[in-house]
Amino acid sequence: MINSAILSGVDLRKSYGSLEVLKGVSFAVDKGEFACLVGKSGCGKTTLLSLLSGLEKPTEGKVSLDGKEITDSSEDELALYRRENVGFIFQSFNLIPTLSAWENVALPLFPMKISQEQQRQRAMEMLGKMELDHRTEHLPSALSGGEKQRVAIARALVNRPKIIFADEPTGNLDSTTGEAIMSILHRLNDEDGVAILMVTHEAELAKTADRLIRMKDGEIVA
Amino acid sequence: MNLRYMVKELYYQRRRAMIAAFGLSIGIALLIILNALSIAYRQAAQIPLKEIGANITVQRAGDVPQELSGAVFPCSAVTLRNDELEKIGSLPGIKGMGKGLLLWVFDPDRAWIVLGIESENTIGPAVLKYSVTEGRFLEDGKTEALVEVAYARQFGIKVGDTIPISGRGFPVVGLVDASRATKIAVANVYLPLKEAGALAVASKQLQSVSPYAAGDVNLLFIKADQDQIGSLSSAMKKILGEKAAVATPDSFLKLLGSLFALSDKFTLAASFIAIIVAILIAFKTMAGNIAERAKEIGILKAVGWTNRNVVFQLIGESVVQCFLAGILGLLIAIIVSYGLSFMNVSIPIPWEMSPTPHFLPGGGDQIFKTLQLPVTVPWSLAVFAVLLSVIIGGVTGGLLGRHIARIKPSEVLRHD
Repeated sequence: MINSAILSGVDLRKSYGSLEVLKGVSFAVDKGEFACLVGKSGCGKTTLLSLLSGLEKPTEGKVSLDGKEITDSSEDELALYRRENVGFIFQSFNLIPTLSAWENVALPLFPMKISQEQQRQRAMEMLGKMELDHRTEHLPSALSGGEKQRVAIARALVNRPKIIFADEPTGNLDSTTGEAIMSILHRLNDEDGVAILMVTHEAELAKTADRLIRMKDGEIVA
Repeated sequence: MNLRYMVKELYYQRRRAMIAAFGLSIGIALLIILNALSIAYRQAAQIPLKEIGANITVQRAGDVPQELSGAVFPCSAVTLRNDELEKIGSLPGIKGMGKGLLLWVFDPDRAWIVLGIESENTIGPAVLKYSVTEGRFLEDGKTEALVEVAYARQFGIKVGDTIPISGRGFPVVGLVDASRATKIAVANVYLPLKEAGALAVASKQLQSVSPYAAGDVNLLFIKADQDQIGSLSSAMKKILGEKAAVATPDSFLKLLGSLFALSDKFTLAASFIAIIVAILIAFKTMAGNIAERAKEIGILKAVGWTNRNVVFQLIGESVVQCFLAGILGLLIAIIVSYGLSFMNVSIPIPWEMSPTPHFLPGGGDQIFKTLQLPVTVPWSLAVFAVLLSVIIGGVTGGLLGRHIARIKPSEVLRHD
């Protein structure tokens, strides 16, 4: 299992002052795996996600992506690591309000040395996959919650990531829309082989994952 | 830097951008207006001397004549000897000189203010040739006179008459409206310099107060290099002694009395304060705007933007914002300057440059040169102000960008 891991964290600890949020967590996600982190609010799920995605550095422990350790990387190296390997989906979509749907999708490509036409083309392709061809020029304020999350998924996919981190991706959606989003994530996982690590507190959604990891008080319990 | 993102951000957040730009634009407008006013006052101060083709006038104060009869020198303008004139003429920075001889002639039936002029010299009172209203201007080598039109009207003098001055007859060849031309070196009668010199040589009264020989004068009009006026003024005072009265654009500027006229340092200090206040306002507003965008910056960093990418994006936005502020400030300044250009300014002519004896009617009155303040915004000032705005934008964007780029995306995205 370790040999096929796309992402691994070994003995990860994270403290904020005297508060120890993660207490030596070791964890791996395999290539093409759909893993789900569940646990009560404040148990350290989001912190673990932040460490594994390179948004934060652990106080102790190591994180490796595709065999390459990123723990000691600089902030800019981590940004490049995220740009090239990682996609994010957040609970509150986190779209830029002044950019249209396609521009939000192309956001990770903006700093890259590719033409605007290519950026647009790739963004359109992703929006097509999300069945949002008709909403490409709309601002986020003109989109429904489900459409916003689909735009966010398209943005997470635009750089062809090896893994997608999804933090409560259905948390702000009604159950029908939430199910639709989950079905898209499963389709991406099945058809494109993108590994997905999802954080949720909804047990029904978690059951659909390949693997369920339970966290409690900063530790993996099952 | 992504141009599309920048344009959209500024367009959709235009109210926020405009508020930040407006603060700076007021500062830039103040900077331009203060400097335009200062330049305008400087230009205005040059006008009295410029009207006679010079930028320096020189005279020397002397004693009051004991008896007011025949030709005398005003006590503010006694003999400048020929050897002194040669020394002055050889000073570096002098482009040309015009000479004049001002006399008060007290004849039994009338008093004349007589000015001897070089009729062919473009520097000095010969500029009056463009203000001849009737007849013609003086010609060198001829014994003839030109009479000021108001004086001629008062005493019924016409072209073709012969006027007796100090016992000598001078045919009147023309009338001149001096009020149209200049406030300096105004007289009732204008004679060729040589003829006025002959009157001076022959006057015992004059010789007893201030010895005069042919070739001497008592007024000197000098055109000099603008940059050397200050040093020339000192050098001429050394040659002519303590009683020398040297008038320059700077001395007129001091007479204007305005804060802008009094000191370059005031303009500089006021401009500096205006721009510092504007920068602080712009900085504070932009800092607030950028702080509001902390989450957006966090998103950018989460999706792979490096600190450098973020800083350059914010610098771009700030530069464009401040460039627009500079243009707005320039427009405000142009409109205000246009309004100010209708303002009149009265430049007092120093009493020693006023030719009328103070004991004659109107002689003690202060003479003013009144003109519209020539307030304009020079290209160089406009370009400087806009460039300054852009630099302020670059520095502000850079400092704020560097600060906000340090934000950890996990901190701002965690508490959705």
